[in-house]
Amino acid sequence: MTHHACILLTDVSLADRMHTLLLDVFDIDARIVGTVDEITATADKVDCIVVDSDHFVANVRFFLPRQSRTLVITSHRVAPDNGDLRTIAADADRTQIINALVYFFESGDEQASASGVLSQREVEVLRLIASGHINKEIADKLAISLNTVLTHRKNITAKLGIKSVSGLTFYAMMNGLVTPH
Amino acid sequence: MKTFASVDSKLSDIIVDEPAVVTVLNRFGIRLGVGDSNIAKICDCKNIDRDFFVAIINTYLHEDYFPERIMASFGAKEIINYLRMTNVYYERFQIPNIERHFHFLISKTDDGENNLALILTFFNEVKGELLKRIADDNSRWFPEVLALEHNTDGCATDTRVEQFDEGSDTIEDKIDDLINMFIIHLKGDFDNNLAYAVLTALVNLKKDIRQNNRIRNRILRPLAAALARQSES
Repeated sequence: MTHHACILLTDVSLADRMHTLLLDVFDIDARIVGTVDEITATADKVDCIVVDSDHFVANVRFFLPRQSRTLVITSHRVAPDNGDLRTIAADADRTQIINALVYFFESGDEQASASGVLSQREVEVLRLIASGHINKEIADKLAISLNTVLTHRKNITAKLGIKSVSGLTFYAMMNGLVTPH
Repeated sequence: MKTFASVDSKLSDIIVDEPAVVTVLNRFGIRLGVGDSNIAKICDCKNIDRDFFVAIINTYLHEDYFPERIMASFGAKEIINYLRMTNVYYERFQIPNIERHFHFLISKTDDGENNLALILTFFNEVKGELLKRIADDNSRWFPEVLALEHNTDGCATDTRVEQFDEGSDTIEDKIDDLINMFIIHLKGDFDNNLAYAVLTALVNLKKDIRQNNRIRNRILRPLAAALARQSES
């Protein structure tokens, strides 16, 4: 799954370190921002926000609804039993930060799947359905068997509640997966 | 569980039990204000075949009710007359009703972030298919079946009969998808009550089309096939 990340930290050197680490280890080119306003416009696309506790508290109304997508850098380690909020200590070493980020992204992906969002492969199948391809063509394009295509289609319908090709096409348009003709 | 209607049932009791049945009553020219008469009395006043009326009402009320045997005692003409009335009801009332609610919902929503406009486009596609099916009923299917019944079209074949009514399940699937788009995928800001009005109208249309497809596919289609076989022999 492709991740879009933003970094909002008062400590500029820490922001640079986080940026380098995300790029080197996770191949994520995070955007370093100075204010919450710079995230707001694209907030729906961002699935990882690294923020320090000061910015978090100052903009709690923005972050609380997005806490499952937010990783808070705290000056002191907080208790792990903290609801959906994920935290990491500012003085954590590189390995600890990587482990925390791996856990953050994995649990985020599981949450996305549990809430009915499609897997990357299902999105590819959906895009091809919406582009007018029949099952056999989809199997050829993705180099998978016809049965696998049928399984993906069954799963897509189960997750979205949408069965017809037209319905799936409109869903793909609504979610920017294909361009309306 | 809803009780089965009979000629002795009070029509008002049936409506209280399932108000959506009013849409079926309208096709027979029965309007609200039915008094406390039973079905037999109301049918006699309106010159409606009692048994046919009861079979249609039970088909609408009970998903598992298959009136093939009862319906087989009626001719294609009675069944087609009912299907014509149903099509007229879709064209003149149910589709315009959904459109009215939909346009009102969009007009009262100024949030550019919601996806109502795209869902309306999808609805228009489904509407187009339904209207196309109705046009095909009127211009091709119904006249051909009636001609077979009157034995005036000796060249009819099974192949022609089998080609009837393809795609009706697709319309049902698409209405299901529209309903799920409202329930699962609506985004942005919108008036919840107005959205509920569209949803309710779609659910009523879905139920109606599903029951109607049973009459089309399980009664009229086999009847037409049988008439075609008779015509050949």
